[in-house]
Parts: sequence; C-alpha cells; structure tokens
Amino acid sequence: MHVYKSYDKNYIIRDLSFNIYKGEFVFVTGPSGAGKTTTMKMVIAMEKPTHGQINVFNEDISAIHPKQIPFLRRKIGFVFQDFKLLVNRTVFQNVALGLEISGVSGSIIAKNVTEILKAVELYQKKDEYPLSLSGGEQQRVAIARALVQNPSVLIADEPTGNLDFETASIIIDILKSFNNKGTTMIIATHDKTLIELGRARVIDITKN
Amino acid sequence: MISQKINYLNNYLKIAILNIKSNIAGNIFALSIMSFSFFIMLFFMLSYINIYNYMLSFEKNNTMIIFLKNLEDTNTNTNTNTNINTNTNADANRAHPYKLIAAHIINKIKKFKGVKKIYYYSDKLSYKFMLKHTPNIRTILGKINPTYFPHIIKIHFNPSYISKIYLANIYLRLKSMRHIKFVYYSKLMEDKINQFVFFTKMMGFIVLLFLFISSVFVSYSAIKLIILRKQNDIEILKLIGATNNYIKIPMYIESAIGSIIAFVLSLILLSVIFDIFIYYKFNNFLSFFKINIIFLNGFDILIIFFIALLSSFLGTYFSSRKFF
Repeated sequence: MHVYKSYDKNYIIRDLSFNIYKGEFVFVTGPSGAGKTTTMKMVIAMEKPTHGQINVFNEDISAIHPKQIPFLRRKIGFVFQDFKLLVNRTVFQNVALGLEISGVSGSIIAKNVTEILKAVELYQKKDEYPLSLSGGEQQRVAIARALVQNPSVLIADEPTGNLDFETASIIIDILKSFNNKGTTMIIATHDKTLIELGRARVIDITKN
Repeated sequence: MISQKINYLNNYLKIAILNIKSNIAGNIFALSIMSFSFFIMLFFMLSYINIYNYMLSFEKNNTMIIFLKNLEDTNTNTNTNTNINTNTNADANRAHPYKLIAAHIINKIKKFKGVKKIYYYSDKLSYKFMLKHTPNIRTILGKINPTYFPHIIKIHFNPSYISKIYLANIYLRLKSMRHIKFVYYSKLMEDKINQFVFFTKMMGFIVLLFLFISSVFVSYSAIKLIILRKQNDIEILKLIGATNNYIKIPMYIESAIGSIIAFVLSLILLSVIFDIFIYYKFNNFLSFFKINIIFLNGFDILIIFFIALLSSFLGTYFSSRKFF
C-alpha cells in the first residue's frame, strides 16, 4: 500500500496501491518504464520499496529478514521474460530445481516433474537442453519450473514478450488451466492482445 | 526431517559433481595448480623430516669423556692429603693409583641416573686407541712415551635421558670432582645443533605457512572463477528460492573433492620420485655418510592432508563470502 520506489532520487513508482485476492487472474499493465517489472520484483523481495508496505500472504515483506526471502520465493512461482533456465541442465533437471531446493525426495521429484511436463506438453523433450528448444518451449519449461512446487501465487513478467501470437495463446491457456486449479496468477505485460486473450482483471500502472 | 537432510546431502553431492563435469577444463587447470602446491608441501615435509631426523642423530650424541689429572699436578696444586700413593717411585706404581682414582670416579658416576656404560682407558690403552684411529701420524706417535698419554674415562648415556640440561648438570658435577682435569662433551656442537634444529623448525613453520597461504589462494582463485562463471546460475537459483547454504555447500564439496584428488595425485607423484631416488642407489651414497632417508609416515601425510583440506575450505569461504 502506498508504495514508492526510487533509484538515486529518481522515482520509478509513486504511491502505488492495489490488492490481489486468492485465486484471481490479474494482468498488471502499463507502458514501458511504468514500473511493472519493479513492482513484480518487489513482490518477491528482489527489490525493496523506498516507502510503503507490501503485504504478501498477510505478511509485510518490505521489512523481511534476508534469511526469510528464499522461503517466501518458494511460495511464489516466478516466470521471467528471458526464461532464466540453466543451460547446462536438461529440461527435467531445470524443472526439478525448485523441488530439489525444497529438499523433496527423488521419487516425489520424478513424479511431480513428469506430471507438470505432461501438463505443459514437454515430456517428450525432458532430456533435451534448453538451448535446443524453441522460445515457446523454453517459456513452458520456465512455467513448469515455477508451477512444479505448487505455489499459491505465480508471477509472470512479460511471459510472451518474445513469442508469436499462437505460442502466446498456448502459454495463456496453460496459465489459465493452473488458475482454474486455484493458483493466483499475476501477469505483467504491456501486450494488449494478451490481455484480450486472458479476459481478466487489469491493473493499469501509468507512468509517473 | 532426517530424510529431508539426506535429500539435501544427495542434492549437494549431485550439484557438486554436475559443476565439476560442466567445467572439466577449468577444474583440470585448478587441479593441476593445487596438485603442484600440495606436492611442494609434501616434498617440503619430506625434506624437513629427513633434515630434522638427521639433526636428531647428532642431538643424541651420548658420549662424555673425562680426562684425569696428572698425579704430579694434583700433588703440586693441592695441599690436601690423599689416600693415593704418590711416592718418588712414581713411574713404577703409576698405573696403580690411576686405576684406584678411576675406580673411585666410576663408582660415583654409576650413581648418576641415565648412565649406560662406562669405559676406562689407561694411558697405554689411550695410546693404542690413537695408534688405531690415527694411522697417518703413527710414526710420530711411535716416538712418544705411552705414559705421557692421558687416562680417560668414557661415559655413554641412555639416549632417552639426553637433554641439554641433563648433560650440563652431569658436566658440572664431574667438573667439581677431584682428579678430573677436564670433561669433554660436544657442548659447542650440541648448542650449534640445537640452534640448527630450532632454525629448521622455524624455517619449516614459515615455509609451511607460506605454502598454506598460497594453497588457500589457489583454492580461492579456483572457486572465485567458478562463481564468476556461474554467477547467472547462482542468481537463478536464488530467485527460485535457494538459500545461500544450498548454493555454497556444493561449492565446498566441489572444492573438497578437488583437494582430495589433487592431494592423492601429489602423494603418488612424490612416492614415485622417492622410489626412483632410492632405485638409483642414492640411498647407498647417503648411507655412506650415515644419512638414512625416510618417507613420510601416516601422521605426516595426515597433517598435510588436513592442511590441504583446510586450505581449500578457507579458499572457498573467502571466495564465496564476497558473493553471498
């Protein structure tokens, strides 16, 4: 609530306030430089607000202890525009990362990763490396990695930024299907066609 | 909880092995530098132990020689009455009083703790000893009257008793006895050797410290390179919820695996070089000078192993501290 964020006295975000409820599908939109990515980063404690308070799961994360940040991030899936996949690991290993980090046993990892890869239709490519996949496939791997831990919230920053319309609609369908299962979806995008595809609540951040 | 810890441990090991595999060339480079560093450490330890061992053989020099006073000197210099017969017919009875004096002194010496053996050399025996051990001056010795040679008592000490203080104490006690002209034990040599042993110890410590620091630096550089190369991966791991420990522990494991392999390689190399050294009969050459070459024992190897492991851990700690 009433969040401000500045870099060197230059305010990127001024007095930003919004609520997102459990199970919602929300688009956060606005022109380039409006602060969409910064807002998303603040939600997963990658950035700290200059002023104001951010409540996630009824907890003020603007004053979160650094040691608690990894545990917050395990509850929130994050999908990046540039996918952020580990190029020296296979699709399966990339998706399994989140579960390995949480200390889940090998058998459960195998079961959950297989399920999620089937859901995003990438099971056939589980042993391939990210660089051998197309942009859309890489984004689906990133979504699978974010969702495999069954997070309460999934944040996607420009998830279809580099993808064509057909691939983008596949991605939106996947996100919608997981939203129907109860995962709260927050999608940051400036793409109007994507918003039309999604048909959901829109939070518009205007520049300055 | 325990099963989760086992899962974590399993993951750490998997990640460490994956990291090693993903950067074979870089790891081989780091491994060769580490092996070289550990080899120098082991080689230094081997040299140091042999030098130290050689020095100790001198330190355990356990002989003390007592020269008895000439009886004429005793009579002129002291006005005290003695039980020893020193009449004008001294030459004829010379051997007899010396034997009595020697027996008297030997009885006293026998009471000292740590005395192993006592030998008495009369003037004639001293003469024979000189003839035997100095053949080059035999012709000159042949012209000397054997009775001019001193009467000597040689004491051998039990090596376990030998210490600088012990020898000094015995020396002073003997020096204060009547009929003893002077007591010889290689005191100067003893001091020099003690100094040299101390010097060797100090030098050993300094060199080992230097090698340890350089080894830490090698590990530091190797892990820092890995971290710099993997900075992107580390950032991703953190974003999906990895704790610092989850990222750091595999690095420690990776570093420890590298150290163990490097240490084993350097030990094998040293052992091969040592065997070649022995094979080419250098040992015979050295044994001529009573120098016995020994290889490192288990304890020495263990010390270097722990130093190697510690250096790799410290290197990892310092290099990773900057990034987390």
